[in-house]
Amino acid sequence: MNLLGPQRLVVRSLVRAAFSAFVLSVRLRVISPWSYLNWLVFPLLFAIVGLYVLSLPGAGSSHLVYGVLGGGLIGYWSVAYIDAGNGIQDERWNGTLEQIFATPTPLWVILLGKVCGGLLFGLFAFVPTAAAAFFGFHAVLPALDPWRFVISLGVLTLSFFCIAITMAPLFALWRWAFSMINGFELGVYILCGFMFPVAVLAPWAQGVAGFLAPTWAVKALYAATVAQGPHDFAAWWAVTSGLSLAYLAGAYFLYALVEREARVSGELALV
Amino acid sequence: MPAIEARRLRKTYRTTRGVFRRERVEQVALRGVDLAIERGELFGLLGPNGAGKTTMVKIFTTLLLPTSGAAVVLGLDAVRDQWALRRRIGFVFGGERGLYWRLSGLDNLRYFADLYRIPPEVSRRRIPELLERLGLAGRERDRVELYSRGMKQRLHLARGLLNDPEVLFLDEPTIGLDPVGARELRVIVRELADAGKTIFLTTHYMFEADAICDRIAVIKGGEIVAEGTPSSIKTVVQDQGVVEFEVVGMPADRLAGLRTLPGVTSVAVADHELAQVVTIHCARPADVMTQLGLVLDGMTMEKVSSREPTLEDAYVQLIGDSPANSEASP
Amino acid sequence: MKHLGLEAGVFARSLYLQYVALFQWATVRGYIAYKVLLPVTQILFFVELGVYATGRQNALYFALGNALQLTANAGIFGVIATVANERQYGTLPILLASPANRLVTFMSRAVVNVIDGIATVVIGLAIVVVLFGLDLRQANLPLLGLCVVIISVTTAGLGLMFGSIGLVMRDAIIVANIVYYLLLIICGINFPVSRLPGALQVLAYSLPLTRGVQAARDAAAGATLGHVSGLLAGELLVGAAWALGGYFLFRGLENWSRRGGLQEAY
Repeated sequence: MNLLGPQRLVVRSLVRAAFSAFVLSVRLRVISPWSYLNWLVFPLLFAIVGLYVLSLPGAGSSHLVYGVLGGGLIGYWSVAYIDAGNGIQDERWNGTLEQIFATPTPLWVILLGKVCGGLLFGLFAFVPTAAAAFFGFHAVLPALDPWRFVISLGVLTLSFFCIAITMAPLFALWRWAFSMINGFELGVYILCGFMFPVAVLAPWAQGVAGFLAPTWAVKALYAATVAQGPHDFAAWWAVTSGLSLAYLAGAYFLYALVEREARVSGELALV
Repeated sequence: MPAIEARRLRKTYRTTRGVFRRERVEQVALRGVDLAIERGELFGLLGPNGAGKTTMVKIFTTLLLPTSGAAVVLGLDAVRDQWALRRRIGFVFGGERGLYWRLSGLDNLRYFADLYRIPPEVSRRRIPELLERLGLAGRERDRVELYSRGMKQRLHLARGLLNDPEVLFLDEPTIGLDPVGARELRVIVRELADAGKTIFLTTHYMFEADAICDRIAVIKGGEIVAEGTPSSIKTVVQDQGVVEFEVVGMPADRLAGLRTLPGVTSVAVADHELAQVVTIHCARPADVMTQLGLVLDGMTMEKVSSREPTLEDAYVQLIGDSPANSEASP
Repeated sequence: MKHLGLEAGVFARSLYLQYVALFQWATVRGYIAYKVLLPVTQILFFVELGVYATGRQNALYFALGNALQLTANAGIFGVIATVANERQYGTLPILLASPANRLVTFMSRAVVNVIDGIATVVIGLAIVVVLFGLDLRQANLPLLGLCVVIISVTTAGLGLMFGSIGLVMRDAIIVANIVYYLLLIICGINFPVSRLPGALQVLAYSLPLTRGVQAARDAAAGATLGHVSGLLAGELLVGAAWALGGYFLFRGLENWSRRGGLQEAY
């Protein structure tokens, strides 16, 4: 990318463009009914099912913590991969992909803003689900460590951000990739331990789960809410961050490929 | 140095066909096009659907890579210098899509102003000016989905002018507009050219090109078949006249008979309500008119007339008869 | 008799066209993603959740409930998607302007989705049974199969009701999504209906799926047809009531939307 003009002004204009994309993304989500499905309705429905199951006779009291956060994690992930991950595809469906592609702002800058907008909404999913857990089932986080919880949530956000940024060109290049990840949505809930610990899975599944950045962040998140069990926060945060940055490295090549492919095939306007 | 230049520009699309047995198909959209447009010109590219007009515009606006050849705009290579070029050009594809229809016109313009990296103090002044000039003032806070077709097109144009481009590309800007809206847009486009902008416009409305363009090129099947001012293009048919009449049904043998008349260069048949309109391009209309009765013996002709050729006739001549229009009807 | 023959012809042709249309857009990858991967992972998720909460001995309870809920996918989405797609592609006014019998036309399209749904359930359940080593030796498999068929038909009746909404509502698929997942909470899929508040229990027994799932669980435990006939009869009655209600709602909304010109999506 050939940057022109004084560096300072260039950076400022790019930041402004990214912020503008963030604002647009938030505004479009506020007025879109589909957006509420992903961050409000589905997480709440899953949270309620989860809370009922986790409070069945035979379930331990410590199980319920997965009901408090599980719905929020499900909502957060759904927004990250559907809304944020479709950052390029939804421009295509809207018919605006050519228009934004041909501007002097690189596509990844625009997507950076859009993904941040999406993740902001994803975070909202924790609110109704935690409220349902507390008011409906009197479920709370038994031994919350606020700082470790916040940092773990931040690291989780980093992993979702990197995944969404990586998925955007992936979904744009190969439309079947979205179908596959959509089909595997609940598989991610399983492997990343959203509503039950990864430790209950078969050993081979745990091995696969280890390659997913969110798995470690979710582990840290739950560990920051209970007193018992391992508390290797530093290691978990490090693994999450390392894997997330590895995804970003892959994303770099995918973006270059998208730019090239789009200009060769001319299919930006096609839905 | 020309503002826009194409040198042996070629574009071949490669796609696959079929689900289980995939077949690679090549489609040539541009076959080595050469063009040069000077600064300040309003240049029109005329051609039927699928001739390569949009492909050429997309190459110049950096959206598409040519297979070979060069596309140079303002001295910048559209392939390599896309980042610098995008700041200095604007484009309008028009149509219903291409805008955030759930947001207002103003929000759309503000967003694109930021994507074009226009300083806020500049866009704060320029956006109201554009809204005023394009007749959108007072409606800028309405959602785009409530705009008429004409308003959406003008909003597209406003977006294309946000960065005050030196060169503006317009791809069929009046398509789908009512006659009043189309005329208003043509006036605006002419004013922009008169103000010094270089404008590259594609259209398949001959009268539009004739009305506003300084120069025209006609493209067919990815090749330029004629280039020049509207007057010079008409010389293609200057020695020709046109004989037209209406008839109910045109059997194949009669059509063939018309084609064999001396001096006839083309015969086109088009449906018009319950009848067919036959248009004969020929060197000597008077001779052809005297022969009509012999060839079409027993058939009733109405509204028989002869006239001077127009740019449309020149265009039809250059593009060739449409097979659908030439089919004989029982 | 001639009239019946004509209707049968319309039904058969519509059935064939829906089958062709369904698989025109569906690629192999898309089919695997939405007809194999999604259903299987949905069952797996709730089985793992249930096993974590209550122990491995209850795996079949969760597997069966969630597998059967999948039939609702085809039944509900099939009809709603049919109406919504007709609306989106602008062919709804054309269809409704035709003299075709509405019920015949739409139920014929639902049939393909019902068959598709049964296939999804069978595949999903088979995979989970193998993965978890579930024991079906004492199950009454033919009766279980009958339950699957009945549930897929009764949930199609529910789909017809919500499909009618597609005539007047642009984003009816949103409603379909919500209804589909609400069934997970209300119909005794993952926990007994008795755990719900009273009003929701009444709603549960007013919906298809609830009695059918109970009957299927009994069949999996070895019950005979006689044991579950009451449940199945109730399931069929509830499904028929929803289908009939959906049909009349459809006709009513069709007339209303024709007056208001709301049949176009935009």
